[in-house]
Amino acid sequence: MSAPRALTAAAPRLAAVLLGAACVAWTAVPPRNTGLAALALVVSIIAVVAGALRLALADVPQPEEGFFLTAPVRAWLTFLAVLRGLPWEEIAVVALLWLEVQHPAKPWHTAALGFGLAAYLLAVHIAESGAPAGRLLRRQAKVLLAGACLLALGAGFAMLPAAGPGAGSALLRVLAAAAVVAAAALVLPWRD
Amino acid sequence: MAGPVQQVEVRWRPSRHARRLLTLALAGLLLATLTRRPELVGVAAPTLLLLGVAIPGRPGRPGRPGRPARLAVRVGLASSRLYEGELAAVDLAVDDTRFDTRWLLEAGRGVEPASATAVNGAAARFEFTVPRWGRRQLGSAALVLHDPWRLTEGRAELVLPAVDCYPQPAVERTRVVLSRLPNRLGEHAARVPGEGTEFAGVREYVPGDRQRAINWPASTRLGRLQVNTFAAERSQDIVLVVDATSDVGPPGTSALDLGLRGAAGAARAYLDGRDRVGVICYQWGGARWLAPSLGRRQFYKIIDTMLSADAGWGRGETFSRLPRAALPPGALVVVFSPLLDQRFVETLRDMRERGFGLIVVDVLNTVPPPRRTFSDAMTRRIWRMEQQAIRFSLRELGVPVVHWDGSAPLDLPLAPYTRRPLVVHR
Repeated sequence: MSAPRALTAAAPRLAAVLLGAACVAWTAVPPRNTGLAALALVVSIIAVVAGALRLALADVPQPEEGFFLTAPVRAWLTFLAVLRGLPWEEIAVVALLWLEVQHPAKPWHTAALGFGLAAYLLAVHIAESGAPAGRLLRRQAKVLLAGACLLALGAGFAMLPAAGPGAGSALLRVLAAAAVVAAAALVLPWRD
Repeated sequence: MAGPVQQVEVRWRPSRHARRLLTLALAGLLLATLTRRPELVGVAAPTLLLLGVAIPGRPGRPGRPGRPARLAVRVGLASSRLYEGELAAVDLAVDDTRFDTRWLLEAGRGVEPASATAVNGAAARFEFTVPRWGRRQLGSAALVLHDPWRLTEGRAELVLPAVDCYPQPAVERTRVVLSRLPNRLGEHAARVPGEGTEFAGVREYVPGDRQRAINWPASTRLGRLQVNTFAAERSQDIVLVVDATSDVGPPGTSALDLGLRGAAGAARAYLDGRDRVGVICYQWGGARWLAPSLGRRQFYKIIDTMLSADAGWGRGETFSRLPRAALPPGALVVVFSPLLDQRFVETLRDMRERGFGLIVVDVLNTVPPPRRTFSDAMTRRIWRMEQQAIRFSLRELGVPVVHWDGSAPLDLPLAPYTRRPLVVHR
């Protein structure tokens, strides 16, 4: 493979890895020493690294016949099977969101994480499917823009002062935000 | 691209990307409810919006014709017949171009994929080779369709056709010619005078000779009219016998592989020389044979007959006397065999006793592996001596036995018998 082609193939993978690492770093700071937060951080790091390894080793072929293999080869194949079998990106997303809610983070911080996670998932998809990134993003531009507006709307709702003290008012805010997001999604002209 | 159209069923399902987005959305909504933080609803919003765009509809529903339940796929095979190691290609094309398409080839057993062109498009080309002769299923092709949002994917499988892989014919440019040829017009110079083009000698003129045949220098020298004589041109019957009773050696260079390649090369060489060529595949359970005939078509018929050769032990009855219809009188019999089976050797002896001119091409290129124990070494030695005895006994009967390793041209071992006509003592 020529150098420009290799770079073209490696660029989306590198972008996915960098976005995953950025999401982990964004969520981990400031560090918290509670047990659940530390566990979520470890799980998210493992998941992002494993996802990056899966993308890096995507072109390694699986042998057709698995008979009479040596122990190192068998271990390598098991490692590949685990790497390719588990949904690492889903695990990373859940762990990062859980880590985020462990922090007393500001709404804009969470909104930025939302942007980062969406971009991470999109980069992973482009890297593993080989889809042309430019064409894919052009097709989804309107929807992504509308989604960004809704994300900002959700963050804005979180910044409004609560109507009154107590758990009930906070839940009411969540429901209101969800209702506004749903209503906005329904009226937006996103269909082709 | 020409090719038959196959209707394939498409199974639609959410893509892996969609499942990831759904995970993000559900996790955001759940955590928003549990922690009462509305900004997490915002995190879920873009992904929910994307998923809403690509709500999977039922395939083929009238309101949503975007995801068809069936698709027309064209499959074009460059050639359904190819030789061992020859590069061939299969073209695949889908008529519906609304989707991002990706083709995957699952090569069948004994088929080696070579390269692929435009696998991310509506029309793709897969090149392949078949390293060993036989009838091979090409395998299957998977067609993966993505909607413009890449959130649903359709998958269709289609079974690719089979190809016949012919043994790669051995190189043979020279031919063994019998000393006594049947009285049939051909290209081999016979020992009798005739109307051919090869100069045979000079004789005295007799009334009735053509004037243009007069040899004027000889006539001037001798003082009497002399005419040139020419050799008659005859064709011969060739019967190729392939011993498929045992297949020893590594796959690809086994005795049967070499036998078939040698027989294919010989068939081509003799058919090019306007000889009538037939074939007998000797195997357990009976022999498959094809009576001698002429022409290019006969070459493919011979190969098709040989493709049915199947080595195996102890299946059905066998016989030591080959059918009379497969062996025309006066034919030259070229045998390709590892000479491992005693009953086949008896068949050769029988043919020799019936007066056929025989040449045996020995295609055995493997020996039992060396062992350390005394009994194994002794067994190996006895086996070697037995093999030598078989070959010696055939030579004593007047049957030439030449060894061919499969890599050199077949002309090389046959050289002593192609330089002059083969005399058969009856």
